[in-house]
Amino acid sequence: MTGRCLTALVGGYAAAAGAASLVARLLPIARAEATVWGMILSFLIFASLGLWAFHEPRLSRVAALVWGVAILCGGACLLLGPRA
Amino acid sequence: MSAVAVARSLRQSMAWIHTWLGLLAGWILFAMFLTGTASYFRPEITRWMQPELRAADVSPAHAAEAAIRTLQATSPQDLQWFIYLPDERTGITRVFTRPQPNADPKASPAPRREELKLSPVTGQPLTARDTRGGEHFYRFHFQLQLPHPWGRWLAGLCAIFMLAAIISGVITHKRIFIDFFTLRWGKGQRSWLDAHNVSAVVALPFHAMITYTGLITLVVMYMPWPIAANYQKPAEFAAEAYGRDEEGEPSGKAAPLTPIRPLIVAAARQWGGGAPRTIIIRNPNDAAATITILRSATDQLNARAPSVTFSGVSGQRLAATPAQGPAINSAGVMLGLHIGQYMGPALRWTHFLLGLVGTAMVGTGLLLWTAKRHKAGTKPFFGFRLVERMNIAAVACLPAGMGAYLLANRLIPAGLPGRAAMEVSAMFWTWFGLASLSLLRPTRRAWTETLGLAALIWGSLPIVNMMTTNRSLFASLASGDWLFVTFDMTALAFAALLGWGSWKAHRVKQPPQRRQRVAPPRRAPMQEVLGGV
Repeated sequence: MTGRCLTALVGGYAAAAGAASLVARLLPIARAEATVWGMILSFLIFASLGLWAFHEPRLSRVAALVWGVAILCGGACLLLGPRA
Repeated sequence: MSAVAVARSLRQSMAWIHTWLGLLAGWILFAMFLTGTASYFRPEITRWMQPELRAADVSPAHAAEAAIRTLQATSPQDLQWFIYLPDERTGITRVFTRPQPNADPKASPAPRREELKLSPVTGQPLTARDTRGGEHFYRFHFQLQLPHPWGRWLAGLCAIFMLAAIISGVITHKRIFIDFFTLRWGKGQRSWLDAHNVSAVVALPFHAMITYTGLITLVVMYMPWPIAANYQKPAEFAAEAYGRDEEGEPSGKAAPLTPIRPLIVAAARQWGGGAPRTIIIRNPNDAAATITILRSATDQLNARAPSVTFSGVSGQRLAATPAQGPAINSAGVMLGLHIGQYMGPALRWTHFLLGLVGTAMVGTGLLLWTAKRHKAGTKPFFGFRLVERMNIAAVACLPAGMGAYLLANRLIPAGLPGRAAMEVSAMFWTWFGLASLSLLRPTRRAWTETLGLAALIWGSLPIVNMMTTNRSLFASLASGDWLFVTFDMTALAFAALLGWGSWKAHRVKQPPQRRQRVAPPRRAPMQEVLGGV
């Protein structure tokens, strides 16, 4: 249960931050606008992922998806770097 | 682990997580809801807590001229003047100034001087008792009286728990429309569930709105990563979205400051109407002076009102807030929906009541937890007793503490040094002190007595106000001072509500019997929760 809680809370935050950042980085609109859309969406992603983490019975699947989204999106943002 | 190891229906897992989210964040959320609700009347509470002051009704331009006259006489060579103009709710001008930095570059930057209250009519400084006023409830609502930044992070954590609790609660709840109309009194646990459902469902759009927009108010702190993904320097984002701050250096050449009134007119023309709220004058009486005028957000949903910057000598327009796109506008509107500056009296009172419904939703949810687990005749487990006691501390003792904060304002001598901090201490000593004392009493007695004491504190407010000021309920009624009348009446209404709760808790005579499915006997709704330990 500790692993699930940590995945939901810390992993969920990391995944939401990563996904929101990637949306902000990739949306083909002005960067200030894209940034704010990402920020507005982030809490919905966090809450949804966090709740799903307690619905899906297999912890391995939860951890794979949540941490996977966090690492993939975060990594993509790092590789892309800030907009010029 | 076993609790979630087996596959369950979505509703089952959501009900399970809803319970845990509510239990873990419930007490802090209760306090956030109640102090946040009070904060809808932040300037009004401040005005009640400074009864020496009376609001004056003058135009913002007049108040600005009066304030600038005073600042010219007292500190004409400052780096910056901030002037907060009065509106119909605050009624007074507030200014603070920042002196020129020390010529020695190694010296630390000059701190801003203490804030002054000025008469909007004459610009002369006003003296009133030192108090944090409504600002205290407002700050507590999202900082929880903890050191920065921990209070804000804890409040954010509770807010995201609240958001998840709302979503999981809606999924759990299959009969959302029927429960809109269902409230069965006097049926123990069933009544608490009904009360929780009604308070949640009736105001569901409000709860969802206030939770999400609450997170948005501090989004730059909670979720700065999208900024980092797009910007090398975070400050660039703020400048692009909201415009750059004027940071000009003084030229060292003296030049007279241009009159403010034509600039206010020019700013209003640019905005297509609207009143100014704040005026920031940088390097006054210098050839490089600038004057920034921020628009009041009281007539628009977006809380981030635009500003215009003029030359402080020629009055020429130098800069203005950039036009905002849909995302930045949406975030501004969400901020506005949360802090509610745009509301007129009817809407403000509606939101105040909705805030109380939200408080009741959290409170009934907490009481439902104990009602569900209460078993007469068995020794309650430790967690049960802990939750029971924490519920008393939040639901009964916090209102007592808030009342004590207001009562202290009238009882601590107006001229005593450090009195503002004493008022704040009065709230926390009463809150936590009462909660600790109540541990000495059996649970049901503790409910009766703490709620009763809270009722006494709130009920005494109009009386103590009458004895310590010349603005009693009768005097206020006679002079048509509706703010003071409303404040006294609201205090009495809270006293009645708390007294009713105390009476309900008291009416339970015997520990309840374990209820069977067949024909439950009629009993008070609080009985199952409040029955003896």
